[in-house]
Amino acid sequence: MDIIRLRALRGPNLWGRHTAIEATLHCPSCARTSADLPDITTRIQARFPGLGALPAQNPSAQATPLPLPELIAIAALSLQISAGCPVAFYRCTETVETGVYQIVVEYSEEAVGRLAVELALELYIAARDDQPFDAANAIARLRALDEDQRLGPSTGAIVHAAVARGIPYRRLTTGSLVQFGWGARQRRIQAAEIDATSAIAESIAQDKQLTKQLLLAAGVPVPEGRSVASAAEAWVAAQAIMANGNDNLLSRSVVVKPQDGNQGKGVTVDICTQDAVFQAYAAAAAISDDVLVERYLPGHDFRLLVVGNRLIAAARREPAQVIGNGQDSISALVDAVNLDPNRGDGHATSLTKIRLDNIAIATLQQQGLTPDSVPSQGQRVVLRHNANLSTGGTATDVTDEVHPQLAARAIAAAAMVGLDICGVDAVCETLTRPLEAQGGGIVEVNAAPGLRMHLAPSYGKGRAVGEAIIDLLFPAGDNGRIPIVAVAGTNGKTTTVRLIAHLQTVAGRRVGMTTTDGVYIQGQRIDSGDCSGPKSARNVLLHPEVDAAVLETARGGILREGLAFDHCDVAVVTNIGLGDHLGLNYITTVEDLAVVKRVIVDNVSPTGMTVLNAADPLVARKANYCPSAVTFFAADSQHPVLAAHGARRQRVVYRDGDDLVTAEGEVQARFPLANIPLTHAGALGFQVENVMAAIAAVWALGLDWHVIREGLASFVNNADTAPGRFNVFQYCGATVIADYGHNPDAIVALIQAVEAMPGKRRTAVISAAGDRRDEDIRQQSQLLGGVFDNLILYEDACQRGRTPGETLGLLREGLAGAARAQQVTDVYGEFLAIDQALESLAPGDLCLILIDQVEEALAHIKQRVTESLAKAA
Amino acid sequence: MIEFLNFIALRGPNMWTYRPVIEAWVDIGELEESPSNTLPGFNERLTAWLPSLVEHRCSYGEQGGFLQRLKEGTWPAHILEHVTLELQNLAGMPGGFGKARSTSQRGIYKVAVRSWHEHITRQALLLGRDLVMAAIDNTPFNVAQAVAQLAQMKEHLLLGPSTQAIVDAATAKSRRIPAIRLSAGNLVQLGYGKHSRRIWTAETDATSAIAESISSDKSLTNALLRSCGVPVPEGSIVTHAAAAWTEAQSIGLPVVIKPVDGNHGRGVSVDLSTQTDIEAAFALAEDASRSGEVLVEKFIPGIEHRLLIVGGKLVAAARGEEAWVVGDGRSTVQQLINQQINSDPRRGTEEASPLNRIENDPAVALELNRQGSAIDAIPICGERLLIQRNGNVAFDCTDEVHPAIIAQAALAARIVGLDIAGIDLVARDISQPLASQQGAIVEVNAGPGLLMHLKPAAGQPRPVGEAIVDYLFPPDAATRIPVVGVTGSAVATLTARWLDHVLRLTNQATGLACKEGVFLGTLPLATQNLSPLAAAQTLLINRQTEVAVIENSIDDLLNEGLAYDRCQVGIVTTLNPDQDPSSLRPDHYIDTPERLFNIVRTQVDVVLPNGCAVLNAADPLVREMAELCDGEVIFFADENTADTNTLAALTAHRTQGGRAVLLRNQAIILAEANNEKSLLTLTEISYINTAVKVFADNQKVGAGETAANRITALLATIGAAWALNVPLVTLRIGLTTF
Repeated sequence: MDIIRLRALRGPNLWGRHTAIEATLHCPSCARTSADLPDITTRIQARFPGLGALPAQNPSAQATPLPLPELIAIAALSLQISAGCPVAFYRCTETVETGVYQIVVEYSEEAVGRLAVELALELYIAARDDQPFDAANAIARLRALDEDQRLGPSTGAIVHAAVARGIPYRRLTTGSLVQFGWGARQRRIQAAEIDATSAIAESIAQDKQLTKQLLLAAGVPVPEGRSVASAAEAWVAAQAIMANGNDNLLSRSVVVKPQDGNQGKGVTVDICTQDAVFQAYAAAAAISDDVLVERYLPGHDFRLLVVGNRLIAAARREPAQVIGNGQDSISALVDAVNLDPNRGDGHATSLTKIRLDNIAIATLQQQGLTPDSVPSQGQRVVLRHNANLSTGGTATDVTDEVHPQLAARAIAAAAMVGLDICGVDAVCETLTRPLEAQGGGIVEVNAAPGLRMHLAPSYGKGRAVGEAIIDLLFPAGDNGRIPIVAVAGTNGKTTTVRLIAHLQTVAGRRVGMTTTDGVYIQGQRIDSGDCSGPKSARNVLLHPEVDAAVLETARGGILREGLAFDHCDVAVVTNIGLGDHLGLNYITTVEDLAVVKRVIVDNVSPTGMTVLNAADPLVARKANYCPSAVTFFAADSQHPVLAAHGARRQRVVYRDGDDLVTAEGEVQARFPLANIPLTHAGALGFQVENVMAAIAAVWALGLDWHVIREGLASFVNNADTAPGRFNVFQYCGATVIADYGHNPDAIVALIQAVEAMPGKRRTAVISAAGDRRDEDIRQQSQLLGGVFDNLILYEDACQRGRTPGETLGLLREGLAGAARAQQVTDVYGEFLAIDQALESLAPGDLCLILIDQVEEALAHIKQRVTESLAKAA
Repeated sequence: MIEFLNFIALRGPNMWTYRPVIEAWVDIGELEESPSNTLPGFNERLTAWLPSLVEHRCSYGEQGGFLQRLKEGTWPAHILEHVTLELQNLAGMPGGFGKARSTSQRGIYKVAVRSWHEHITRQALLLGRDLVMAAIDNTPFNVAQAVAQLAQMKEHLLLGPSTQAIVDAATAKSRRIPAIRLSAGNLVQLGYGKHSRRIWTAETDATSAIAESISSDKSLTNALLRSCGVPVPEGSIVTHAAAAWTEAQSIGLPVVIKPVDGNHGRGVSVDLSTQTDIEAAFALAEDASRSGEVLVEKFIPGIEHRLLIVGGKLVAAARGEEAWVVGDGRSTVQQLINQQINSDPRRGTEEASPLNRIENDPAVALELNRQGSAIDAIPICGERLLIQRNGNVAFDCTDEVHPAIIAQAALAARIVGLDIAGIDLVARDISQPLASQQGAIVEVNAGPGLLMHLKPAAGQPRPVGEAIVDYLFPPDAATRIPVVGVTGSAVATLTARWLDHVLRLTNQATGLACKEGVFLGTLPLATQNLSPLAAAQTLLINRQTEVAVIENSIDDLLNEGLAYDRCQVGIVTTLNPDQDPSSLRPDHYIDTPERLFNIVRTQVDVVLPNGCAVLNAADPLVREMAELCDGEVIFFADENTADTNTLAALTAHRTQGGRAVLLRNQAIILAEANNEKSLLTLTEISYINTAVKVFADNQKVGAGETAANRITALLATIGAAWALNVPLVTLRIGLTTF
């Protein structure tokens, strides 16, 4: 069995809304279903007992054989589930090609999904060949990869809170940098920092002395003390501190510690004699030149989490410790504690394993113990001086205990340092009383605090920390979204996109749009080429100066990667018609094509709007699937679909004589076609359709009628602004129209438009892209042969896999029995064909040139036009 | 002998000047008998050591003024003042205030000199004394060494030049935004209390930490910019030399190699085309990188530029220049560099030098190697060798930048999320759009250096500090909270406490610094270990404070100066040394009413032009201060006990439309020109009618107060509250509930 293709569908896709791996597999005829390998299921189960339930077999009938790819899909899903990934969805279908299957397996992390599919295939092969397969190892690999890839618990909690509020997110790196919202409304976080977190505040928090000085200015109790440069000075400082102590509140003992030590190295606590201070100074000076003497604060270590100006959570932290049972050694007790599955090796789990390392051994030594000592029943043995979770400590939620005055001090501390998310470390007996009432103090403030201890404390309940941070980023009612209009369909997409963008620009929005000829931000092209895929769409949504996005959404991108957004506000499907690019990606019929385009309709926000062409039967059928309200448009106001919709007091847009009309119940607005230059006063039927679609879209976005009218009147459509979209030139008295239309529907629309224009003799220059189906190419020349007198057929270098002359042959076949065509010429080369057509024109003639290399061909035509004008002058 | 009796660091506005000074008390002893013109050879020696003393205008107000004084004969204390200032000047701390005054005691002077930093100026005074004595005694003195010592202290202790430029722009007369240095480093607060902002070199309190971490990841920055259509060079990360070569071939030669996370152009090599060069450059970059990750990027031909973006606007732009040497057939490349490049006086090793000296630079070695030369090679006569492609980017080109480039640079800063960013871009011609010349943005820097724009090697310096200040404080933004200063020889504490009580009723976070402690609202701040000035400043540093009342005792004024640069309201309760001789400070040589006046007037001198002095009209000395006030004056007085001079002064003040708070019989009257409004009567104010209380712990409240001076405090409080527009309803409640 071979993998023909493996894709990651990173957004809503043909199969659903899940992110998923899509694999196309080819099975040889000898191994397609479980019937071909009778005990394959048992063999797989033997190697991987965690294989999920197989589809229910119909007991009455002969056991239905299961396609082997489906078995692989189930295995890939089950492997991920065994590794702890939250996934549930898979699908397997046979394609039109015999023996070729597509399987789709949901993933939560792309890399994990890919590996799971690979491992599932290995499992299948091992089972088939009766070889061993190490399932435990496979699961361990997946689990390790998942821990490495997925967001850490802090970032994950914030992302979950955002998702719950309908705020879109996107990871910007493999690390913890995440973007929420889109365009100009986006915000960023990195673990427990937000984009507004001040770098200066972080630097202040790292300078303990400066922090203390600022906290003093805010009236926040901090331990009295100062830095000293000698043992003698340490003793002087200690005496001064102790002299200020008193029996009921302030202790009469000190702590000596290095200024920039970590993990409690060189710290001596609760001392009051000269000898002890001298010794402690020596210990601290060994770690750092800067030694601090501070009042000893008795009590526990607490961590208070301040978000914005609110206290969100509080935890009491205890260092790694074991409790003796009178039998086991300390190292045995540590091993027993580490059996807890909540204790992991890093930051990914709620607790971390206790390490019996040098620091722990040194800490034991200070207590006169070794790892082999056997503590008595109930004896508490501390293995660390600091209470960090990352060194095996525990945290108990005490949020509900915090005295309001104590909370106010923590908030004041955060505000003074300037941190919007701040972990405030307090040392005191209890949080139930003010710090001042118990001689407690705030010893440190931390930027980017760990959230683990509040999300999943060792004891007590978790707190809604992610929610608080999201509330800080996005006030209630703001979901960080900018309006997205997605436009799909066979023809007219680009013009519709441009018009919707233009109308919003007139409304004062900074618009980003993607089209088949580039990405535009506020009218500036920032990328060129076919940009109708999800990558370009994501770039628009990332751009910080975009208030609204209009995204041409082509089928290719949907199939390749899924959508770039979770849902859009307005989906416009211009038409499906006769189809385009059929045959790609196992999409063979226009009905299937409609399914692809349905993806965008399926993913319209429930409060959004779907804009559909009532005259297109395939499109209109979509109304049944729409999660949102629908606006129908059609030139014919009497079209049954449109009329019925209107009768239900739903929104419709139609043509009424020389006006376009929007109607919702009795409320109507009219737009004279004479004021919409794009339609050539209504003469260009396909542009009228595009305008109706655009009006319907911006109506849904709430634009004012007068803005829409102004925008329709000011929309310019020529070779510069819309290259290849019905660009009209005058050449020696003849009318020349250049267009990129390359499929039967486009040509039908063009023919309708051209027929409405005067022209004595009619010439058409045509080619066809090689990747169309033969019948489409034939149909194209057949249609044109019916209305043009003179046809110039050309073929160019880029024939997308066809042999020279093949396309011309197909075009000629289409012309067999043409009603009007009198003269047919074959030319090799696009420019040559254009030149030949132009030379043949007489005043009053009409010439349609279907260009292929859009920019080059238009430049060529413009040059010829300029030359003819120069000659005439 | 010149002996120092005392050094007093006056950190805030003081009797001498608004700026910090050190007031040194010197005893010149017998030298009192020997003015300069009587010391043989003294003036000559002094001017030989310090020729630039000619610039000191001194009392004559013209060049050579001080030399004139020397000739005519002046005394060592005055000479010490000028010598100290000149030593500071030579060490790079130019200008500044200085004054020498005799005291009532023969031979004892107070010398006040502008203090850039307490330690430096104290040292400058000590060195100045030694210099003067050496000149008197005709012994040697090493001026250069003294100056070098001060210059070194300056580098070490003063704000860096970028920060200083911002602070100077803020405190300039046009903005008059106060600044408080918060750390020994470059952390400075601009503005007071609630309206304060912070800067740290070219970072502001709004500079995002995440944005900084993005900008330090060049690969991520590149990807984000590319997504938004900003031109960036193609490139990718490699972790070993062989991969660098492979990647270079796939991107297309030539390439640039640089560390992913380096800064200041360290480890960057450009225009590399051969495997050898690329692998050598990889090693350089790897050394300069913290993560060991190295970026291979397409080489963008052109000149390196630095664009400084502040708040979305281009503030300054500079470009680099290539440095070349031409061989003479005799000298090594190193010698040629020294002769032709390092000899430029703009090149130095100090931070403030616009251009760096080129010394032991591995990038130079690589560049030479590529040209087939080496640092110790001797190029033939006329051979040109490129030493640096982009040395210091220090040539101003702000006015040339094309608008499209400005827009892209501003967008790049916005994408990364930086409010202040240095954008590095390479372009052949900065006056043309990037797209037309394949130019690209190669880096976005957080906390960019400002020096290249402040002191460009060529071209116009740019007002970068001003731009940053304007960004932090747009022209109509508040920069100060109302500060009320209270001083006087009696009841200043009571007045401050009473006013604080009234202001707290206005729902503002009210700070109070007085003899009884420092409070924010009801919260006492633990400032016991701080000097009075530092204790009071905590209120201005606190970002919650919305209004502050600060008592300044006469001792505070003598020992430290005021805690604030300017205030909204300055109150002088009373000052009457004739009646209360204890207000004099003979230990400070403040032994006459005039000298006392000079100390206390500072409180009135610092009242803002839109502020108000609240003055006791009944005290002649206080009354006299009215004319010193830049702002309005509100007089207060008890008409029942006022003498004729007081009444005349009140009438004159009111005739000119002035405001006054008066006690007439039992009624308190708010008077403005001809209008009078009765606020309330004394009988309603319980505090006036309560006796002095003594509590069990012997803490006396109201000790030393008399009925008369309680009334003084009451009237002063009302005057200040009126000046601050406290609603009268609130004021009445505040007065009656105290």
